[in-house]
Amino acid sequence: MAEVLTHAEHDDHDHKPHGWRRWVYATNHKDIGTMYLIFACTMFFIGGGAAMLIRLELFQPGLQFFDPQFFNSLTTMHALIMIFGAVMPGWTGLANWMIPMQVGAPDMALPRLNNLSFWILPFAFTLLIGSFFVPGGAPAGGWTMYPPLILQTGAAFPMLIFSIHLMGASSILGAINVIVTIMNMRAPGITLLRMPLFVWTWLITAYLLIAVMPVLAGAVTMLLTDHFFGTTFFTAAGGGDPVMFQHIFWFFGHPEVYILILPAFGIVSEVIPTFSRKPLFGYEAMVYATASIAFLSFIVWAHHMFTVGMPLAAQLFFMLSTMLIAVPTGVKVFNWTTTMWKGSLSFEPPMLFALAFLFLFTIGGFSGLMLAIVPADYQYQDTYFVVAHFHYVLVPGAIFGMMAGVYYWLPKWTGNMYDLKLAKWHFWLSTIFVNVLFFPQHFLGLAGMPRRIPDYAVQFTDWNMVSSIGGFGFGLSQLLFPYIIWKCVRGGERVGNRAWEGAHGLEWELPSPPPYHSWTTPPSDAVIARGAEH
Amino acid sequence: MPSTDMAADEERRLRVRRSALIWALIAAAFYIGFIVLSLLRGAK
Repeated sequence: MAEVLTHAEHDDHDHKPHGWRRWVYATNHKDIGTMYLIFACTMFFIGGGAAMLIRLELFQPGLQFFDPQFFNSLTTMHALIMIFGAVMPGWTGLANWMIPMQVGAPDMALPRLNNLSFWILPFAFTLLIGSFFVPGGAPAGGWTMYPPLILQTGAAFPMLIFSIHLMGASSILGAINVIVTIMNMRAPGITLLRMPLFVWTWLITAYLLIAVMPVLAGAVTMLLTDHFFGTTFFTAAGGGDPVMFQHIFWFFGHPEVYILILPAFGIVSEVIPTFSRKPLFGYEAMVYATASIAFLSFIVWAHHMFTVGMPLAAQLFFMLSTMLIAVPTGVKVFNWTTTMWKGSLSFEPPMLFALAFLFLFTIGGFSGLMLAIVPADYQYQDTYFVVAHFHYVLVPGAIFGMMAGVYYWLPKWTGNMYDLKLAKWHFWLSTIFVNVLFFPQHFLGLAGMPRRIPDYAVQFTDWNMVSSIGGFGFGLSQLLFPYIIWKCVRGGERVGNRAWEGAHGLEWELPSPPPYHSWTTPPSDAVIARGAEH
Repeated sequence: MPSTDMAADEERRLRVRRSALIWALIAAAFYIGFIVLSLLRGAK
């Protein structure tokens, strides 16, 4: 007993290491979460820089600044950096910060594994971004790495494959940590169906990660052996099949889309009730809808490949299964809307971003339904319509969801309220420019402009100019984001435990900022009952 | 309520370890298994 009390007392003190050791040897979930978020933000600006260069080249027809090979490298690297460097680590950072606090645990279950999964990333991305400087330049075959094109990559090829293995390993380790934490570290009384939606969506995301990252690893390993060891998995001349790669890739790739978006669903499900001052409508339906979306994500992959050619039955199956995803997604949109119905709404920055998510993600969902229709897809495939579709899903979807989360929890993390006025500026500039950037791309695609080209026919000029102006505006307005965070970390109006009046959840029962070790003693039944109101 | 129950702590530690090992094995089996399977199949 005496030992236990000593241990409990010990936990009450921070005893956090100082200097570089705090970060390099970090095992604390908040420190690791912070490193993940800083890393994701850095990658967001590097990937965003590539996007600015792409829009610069596309501002008008003709080749202005870059040769086509470098342009293709920019599009490839933009996608890889944004997906694997910005969005996925961003979610892992938020998971690290919030899951232990939300389930009443002192830390993640496997802190040293947590350290490893983070520190793999800087090496992976040094390798990937370093490929710009090797003979032949960075990979230029698209983030989908379709053979035989990708096999023409120069010295960057093994760097690409190795960096993807590292990213995959990092994601899997992070996912194991999330699952083990949620399944074993919940405070007594936090049953599965009392967990916040963010924890639920992350649990399902973690299962998806463990299921599909190995598939990507297998696919890129086959590319590696085709390139260096004389195998012909994807080379028709040797009896292989390049289409097989596309099937394997998209078996990973479509669930990957949900890996990027499900945690945003969780955040929006936390933010909307808070600023509507009402419990979430249909909590259990939200959980089951998330699980259904995750399940369906495994049986829709070939909708990315309709034009490749497949039997009619397969086309019908993949078209209908894809459309089926609209059902659980519709349940979610309905429940978010109904949560707001007759609520006492207020429009602080997290709510603004959540509302923009709701409207704009739904636009991405609708264009996704259009793409799911086989004969229509024959028209849209490989045009800017597809670019518009997935950017509506990923920018005002995943990125806005992440921003809603950061603006929601930042006062909790720092103990300070951020500059609300500046954050609203950030919101309005982002929302206006993201539409100026991506909405015209629907028109360009419907008019027939192909994607992944550095030059285009003159009739596409006007909307490309508009899109580029939107891109520059969106890019520049993002500079506000780190500035607002930096300013908030340095000081601001102090906030109490419950930074937002309508907020519910165990994290709001902790002080702001929370102690170094979150819940050193499990929350009491009364605290759980207060915090677990959905 | 302070966590003073050493037996519960120990039980949880074991549970975490067991759960981590199971998930690590599943992930490793998927990861390595898929690569090996595809390479073996390709070698035929």
